Amino acid sequence: MSVPMGSQTKIEEGIILRINNLHTYFYTDIGISRALNGVSLDIPAGKVMGVVGESGCGKSVTALSCMRLLPKSAKIMQGDITLYRPIKKEQGTSRIVDEIKLTDLDPMSLEIRNIRGAELAMIFQEPMTSLNPSYTVGDQISEAIILHQEVGAEEAKERTIRILTQVGMANPTAIFRRYPHELSGGMRQRAMIAMALSCTPDVLFADEPTTALDVTTEAQILDLMRDLQAAMGMTIVFITHNLGVVAQMCDYVAVMYLGRIVEQAGVEDIFYNSKHPYTSALLNSIPHVGSRIKERLQAIRGVVPDPYSSIQGCPFHPRCDRAIPGICNVRVPAITQISEGHTVRCFLYSEKAEENNAS
Amino acid sequence: MPADTKSKELLLEVKDLKKYFPVRGGFIKRGVGTVKAVDGVNLFVKEGETLGLVGESGCGKTTCGRTIMRLLDPTSGEIRFRDPHLGWVNLEKMTRKELIQVRPNIQIIFQDPFSSLDPRMTVERIIAEPLQINKIASGQALKDRVAELLRKVGMRPEYMSRYPHAFSGGQRQRLGIARALALNPMLIVCDEPVSALDVSIQAQVLNLLEDLQSELELTYIFIAHDLSVVEHISDRVAVMYVGRLVELASTEELYYHPQHPYSEALMAAVPKPDPRRRERPIKLPGEVASPANPPSGCYFHPRCRYAKDICSHETPPLREVSPEHFSACHFAGQLSLRGIITGS
Repeated sequence: MSVPMGSQTKIEEGIILRINNLHTYFYTDIGISRALNGVSLDIPAGKVMGVVGESGCGKSVTALSCMRLLPKSAKIMQGDITLYRPIKKEQGTSRIVDEIKLTDLDPMSLEIRNIRGAELAMIFQEPMTSLNPSYTVGDQISEAIILHQEVGAEEAKERTIRILTQVGMANPTAIFRRYPHELSGGMRQRAMIAMALSCTPDVLFADEPTTALDVTTEAQILDLMRDLQAAMGMTIVFITHNLGVVAQMCDYVAVMYLGRIVEQAGVEDIFYNSKHPYTSALLNSIPHVGSRIKERLQAIRGVVPDPYSSIQGCPFHPRCDRAIPGICNVRVPAITQISEGHTVRCFLYSEKAEENNAS
Repeated sequence: MPADTKSKELLLEVKDLKKYFPVRGGFIKRGVGTVKAVDGVNLFVKEGETLGLVGESGCGKTTCGRTIMRLLDPTSGEIRFRDPHLGWVNLEKMTRKELIQVRPNIQIIFQDPFSSLDPRMTVERIIAEPLQINKIASGQALKDRVAELLRKVGMRPEYMSRYPHAFSGGQRQRLGIARALALNPMLIVCDEPVSALDVSIQAQVLNLLEDLQSELELTYIFIAHDLSVVEHISDRVAVMYVGRLVELASTEELYYHPQHPYSEALMAAVPKPDPRRRERPIKLPGEVASPANPPSGCYFHPRCRYAKDICSHETPPLREVSPEHFSACHFAGQLSLRGIITGS
């Protein structure tokens, strides 16, 4: 099987998670929703990878597929996800990595439960619905520590208080005994982050962690995540639709549209040298704060099609200003490499089409 | 468009507006305190302009907007509105009956396009309702007017017989806008009209609002928490913090030369969509003050890095620092505050 995403040989070394041709479908009463249609993504270790796109494009489903936390109605139809576990104590030059195919594991198995929380962790968008209202914040965080780190309750409490201090809680011992409803939105999100970080995971999926927060709180949470990421050398997959947040946080960016990654590049390339018409359209449709120019926004016409319908050809062609009739509405473009680490799925750059893959 | 707003006439003037909500608690549900949601707001809106109203959640933006429209009754204060037929009226003194005459001129667009449209009414009934209630049109004329409104907001008149569930968020927001336009209002309070929408749809709705404004000479009070959207659409901006107005100035002035430390912190916190302009936010210690139990003096003083003694016991009034630039800070004009830094 070919690995589609770019310069394989070089990237191999620093890859921590590889998603290869992932298809996740939802089976619902009104039909099959093809949430992911062949997502391929290499996540470099120790970096912040941004995943952007409008709602319904499959950002969260990608993260949930990796965590194996998909609801029962969803099935991974095709493709695989591989976690490359660095063996931490290894000193020599030949870095030994242990490969584990997450897609082969039973979502209820002990193995994945050991990985979840300890190696892969996730911050959810709404802290109120993802914290248990009937346990104190401290109990919820120390539960993860006790489960994954073989320590007693006393030690777990100590570590919890330490991590609460790290996420910037003013009075960690008091917060330990509080219930989620007693905390403000920003503090709840900090508690969520503390829980996700409690076992120093290798990969953290942050699913719109600041969308529900106010700007000043958002800025502080982002600042905190940046500091912790640098201190712990953690890999973050940052899911958001806010391009400002992406510009401030990420090293690499993957732009998604209707269950596919349409462009992937370093953050500077995305903002200054974007190739895919959808990426450019997204950037032109937002007001740029501080640009001083009062230009009319260039809206993208139409709406994201619903995932139950199937579109012939490139999924973006009905909304694309540069669509080529006879090509874009017939075949699905394959991934083309523009430069090192910059890939795009668009016929403007290559005639390569995806084989026998009706979307 | 923004250049000539200075010469424009006043349309609305709000003086010392207050809206307190009682907090009930205890065994017999008696009042145990008050939430000062809006606590002495002074502002004015000129004809044809867009006044942005920004602030963090819970600061009283929405309550302020609704009180101005008399959807909520103010606790005290003055709301003067220049009605095209009645001339200057004091909205806060009017009875419900009197208000009926003024209401067509002040309309609202709500934040959530899913809960603001009745799911059991067709699009036609939703948009026709204000016209029927005010006995403006009936029969074929009514239908024609609804069709015209739908076209105006970029939707096909054939959709008239459908129900709201058949539409996407952006389309529903267009329906909400059509309903607000039905009575040819002068002033529209837009309460976070694009917050619930996806980025690409946001741009469509913002463009529509701007087009309608220049076509129909509308005046907007644009309530939002997204500072980049507010910068884009507003001529002037008012910043609220815990029920009070802390700064009011032209968009340009406020974003690039803020005169209140809270505005400065807000500007620094906006994530700029440019990877070459990464900056650290200004640390605001603590949490947003509670409007049920606000601190003494300037409400912002516990979090302000410029706070001095006077700030904790004296409330700074909103005063004009430079022409048309108002700030409620004891040291406004003396501090050198940082605005948005423009890209090189």
